[in-house]
Amino acid sequence: MKKITPIILLIIALFIPVFLRERPSLIYYINLSMIYAISAQGLNLLMGIAGQISLGHAAFMAIGGYTSAILVMSFHLPFIIALIGGILVACAFGVIIGFPALRLKGFYLAIATLALGNVVTDIIKRLKITGGDYGLRNIPPPSLFGFELQNNLSQFYLVLGCLLLVIFVTRNFIKSKSGMALQAMRDSETGARAVGINISNYKLLAFIVASAFAGLGGVLYAHSVTYLHPTNFGLGFSIDLLAITIIGGIGTLWGVVLGSFLWVLVRNLMGTGLEVLTGVLFGVILILVVLFLPRGLSEIFFRISNRFKSKEVQEK
Amino acid sequence: MLNLVFRGLATGSIYSLTAMGIVLVLSTTNVMNFAQGDMGMFLAFIAFALIMRNFPYPIAIISVVVIGLILGTLLERGLMSKVRKTSHLGMIIVTLALTMILEGLAGYFFGTTPLLFPPLLKGPPIQFAGVILDRQDLVSLAISGIVVLILFIILYRTKIGIASRSLAEDEYGARLLGIPIKSIYTFIWAASFGLAGLAGVMVAPKLSLEPSFMIVIQLKAFIAAVLGGMSSVVGAVVGGLILGVLENFIAYYIPQIKDSFSLILVVVVLLLLPEGLFGRRQARRA
Repeated sequence: MKKITPIILLIIALFIPVFLRERPSLIYYINLSMIYAISAQGLNLLMGIAGQISLGHAAFMAIGGYTSAILVMSFHLPFIIALIGGILVACAFGVIIGFPALRLKGFYLAIATLALGNVVTDIIKRLKITGGDYGLRNIPPPSLFGFELQNNLSQFYLVLGCLLLVIFVTRNFIKSKSGMALQAMRDSETGARAVGINISNYKLLAFIVASAFAGLGGVLYAHSVTYLHPTNFGLGFSIDLLAITIIGGIGTLWGVVLGSFLWVLVRNLMGTGLEVLTGVLFGVILILVVLFLPRGLSEIFFRISNRFKSKEVQEK
Repeated sequence: MLNLVFRGLATGSIYSLTAMGIVLVLSTTNVMNFAQGDMGMFLAFIAFALIMRNFPYPIAIISVVVIGLILGTLLERGLMSKVRKTSHLGMIIVTLALTMILEGLAGYFFGTTPLLFPPLLKGPPIQFAGVILDRQDLVSLAISGIVVLILFIILYRTKIGIASRSLAEDEYGARLLGIPIKSIYTFIWAASFGLAGLAGVMVAPKLSLEPSFMIVIQLKAFIAAVLGGMSSVVGAVVGGLILGVLENFIAYYIPQIKDSFSLILVVVVLLLLPEGLFGRRQARRA
């Protein structure tokens, strides 16, 4: 049973676009939610596994997206190289922003990351190559091995592949030595140091991995939305990513997917005029989650599956 | 030159008002309130609605402060007393969720198009000894001055103020001495939301009134609070004024970096001078 479920889910996921052929806009929103999930997974690692707080996560998305878009548009490099370039540059900035984290904790780290994230968008706004305040328009769609993935349908499979890759990497990362070290650090820094874990290295590692995910999300965002503007990646988006992570379930593998689908679909499918109220709705959900569901909405699934498991045991 | 200093002080006084609210809450209740600015935004919208219904300006201000006090009380009683026991991340998320709720409600009731908030004193700027003084700047300086004075009298000369300072010092000790910490917490939240309302009303005429207009002020208030060391109300006031003046000079002489300047400043201060200019030295701050 345990091994079949993911396969069934994967098959369903692969056929989603076939069912939704009539409504390409819905596929676009699904793509967007998966992109959000990829970026939020980085934040999930950073907060849920490593115990750090970041309020500037969207800035990494901006860095990845802008780097890739510029590499493709101004330097005419193939998409694959631009993708890798975007991720690498985001990682480099992850190191820069990770350094304050070595000395700051809690609220102070939140303020520092908030400030640095805003600095990044401000710099983007002032540079010429990024289009400044006009943003970058008409970013070409991604192309792989000579195929241009022009419509939402073909991009769906690219984004799905990236999402599965990210989740796979996360799963193995959490179970690896580094992941264990990060969890030890999250639970007690003194304790982790006492058993010989190099805290500074691992904190930087957490920031690098988190920004790599965000960079990947940013690259996909740039090429599927085809439009980038610095103010889209400000504090508001960082808070969105934070909320996605928390609502879905912090520290869980699939929580971000749940959270981002809820986030994007509810926000975009609500009728006009009610859009502003989604903020209220999600704010209330966030508060309830913090107070009652420490592992977010995925906790509901955990509880249901636990009940099934305990029933099975009873029947035996 | 003097012009720059004066205008800086006027902007700084707004930062100080917001920063005071943040520091007051943080030092006593250990909650970093990311919703301080948006509370001010929401209250400014209420003031706007009152003024549009032809209430006189001073009554609008006073009623907004009173509403702030009531909302602060309700919030502490209903939510914050439970949230205080969760982690730093939990508190950040709850206050951020509050900003989402407040911005959503403001957008729903008042619309997201920017509105023009009328200034308290209309008329041309006053010239005085070669300095051009904007009337609204004068008002915000004067009101912040009065509020700071009142707050200091409360904090240092009344029983409730001294009790709340003792709470900031040592919660266990305060509880041992029989200080009713619940009512003190409520008082602190109410006071900080009252401050938020004042700051919102003071700053709204200078910017345009829209659901997200206080975000910048909120960020600047954090920076002011960090400059002042996060633990002292004096520090918050002075930090806000210093930040306002510094910003005005930077904007005048090096306009390219005017937005990033304060952001980089706060990171540098956090890294090199974590207790700020006025904070108490602490061996460890988690």
